[in-house]
Amino acid sequence: MSAKQWIVLGAALISLEFVFLVPSVVAHPMERRDAGFVEFVQGPAPAPFMYLGAKHMVSGYDHLLFLVGVIFFLYRFKDVVLYVSLFTLGHSLTLLMGVIGGIGANPYAIDAIIGLSVVYKGFENIGGFNRMNFRPNTKLAVLVFGFFHGFGLATKLQEFTLSKDGLVANILSFNIGVEIGQILALTVVLIMLSYWRTHSSFLHNAFRTNTALMAGGFILAGHQLVGYVLYS
Amino acid sequence: MMVRERMRQKIKDPSPKKIAAATALALVAATAVLLVAILPAEYGLDPLGTGKSLGLLALAKVRPITPQPEEYRLDSVELEVNPSEWVEYSYRLEDSGSMLFSWQATGPVHYNFHSQPDGSPPGYAESFDQQETDQAHGTYAAPFSGIHGWYWENRGATEITITLTTAGFYSRARESRDRISGFHELTDPRGNVIKDLNP
Repeated sequence: MSAKQWIVLGAALISLEFVFLVPSVVAHPMERRDAGFVEFVQGPAPAPFMYLGAKHMVSGYDHLLFLVGVIFFLYRFKDVVLYVSLFTLGHSLTLLMGVIGGIGANPYAIDAIIGLSVVYKGFENIGGFNRMNFRPNTKLAVLVFGFFHGFGLATKLQEFTLSKDGLVANILSFNIGVEIGQILALTVVLIMLSYWRTHSSFLHNAFRTNTALMAGGFILAGHQLVGYVLYS
Repeated sequence: MMVRERMRQKIKDPSPKKIAAATALALVAATAVLLVAILPAEYGLDPLGTGKSLGLLALAKVRPITPQPEEYRLDSVELEVNPSEWVEYSYRLEDSGSMLFSWQATGPVHYNFHSQPDGSPPGYAESFDQQETDQAHGTYAAPFSGIHGWYWENRGATEITITLTTAGFYSRARESRDRISGFHELTDPRGNVIKDLNP
């Protein structure tokens, strides 16, 4: 995919979000809450929100583990772009809808599902579904888990004070930051995976690596489930 | 897709038994990590006693109390500010020393809360808040040792009186104006004036 096509895709996604989501801003004003530096922000603050989005993605090992699982067996750049775009579409939609519509979910429940999405990907990568004669549509699965990841992001973002003034601009900035962070993280992961793939150890250890990925997902899910039981 | 399928073919062979074993192993490993480390450190739950023996439980403690070496002080002051004049009122606070404050003015006044870190060049100050209002209430925790306080400026045409009341772990209070400045006396928590303040 050329740079031009990338830009067109990005612009298309963003305009799609505007068409569907902007009208709901007026209908569902955000409840004002206090937290963090954004307390003092009135009006659009693109750079801080982009920074927060990118930071959340780069430091969010749950999203990163999921992405590692998704691209583990994607050898062609075209496939990487396709799957990552589906993930982006999924999480952008629920991120924007969640925050703008003021829809909050229990963060522990959402994060537990995100943990299970990592388990799912690891299980798929060790061929678990093939053996069960049950082949979920992998593209649909990435999209649907994208919805949950976006909902998780929306829940995190709502921990900040969100002034109605500049809300759309700020959420879009946060979303753009998330994508920047995702591209940064993916670049690192892809470089490491590509390098590893040139060695025979890649296929030898693929099974073990994805078992470890499943363990990571179980840890994330267990951590959040206990939190859910304790605090909900 | 073909490349992907072909590459996967090579590892697609694991038997159902092997897949089940790997999944069980992942689950057991995750459970072990959760029980040994994560639950004690994150939630203060200690099912195996490892939180206590490894000292991980300390991480789960919330510490809303910041102990201070000395008792706090009280201060209440009325400051009159003539039109187009200013007054500065500040406290000496050590790093992470905190105070509660409330002030009210008889009219809108331009103010600025700022702090001068110890050892900074003369005239240097970090400003934390700045606006025009007739009252403010809050808590302040000094981000560094130094002089911390308000600058009020009367930009109106009538005299304004500002009433400031604070309680905090400060050691000195100082009022400064255009030509004069001086230290204020402080009281202890029981309301007695502290005699031996050395400015």
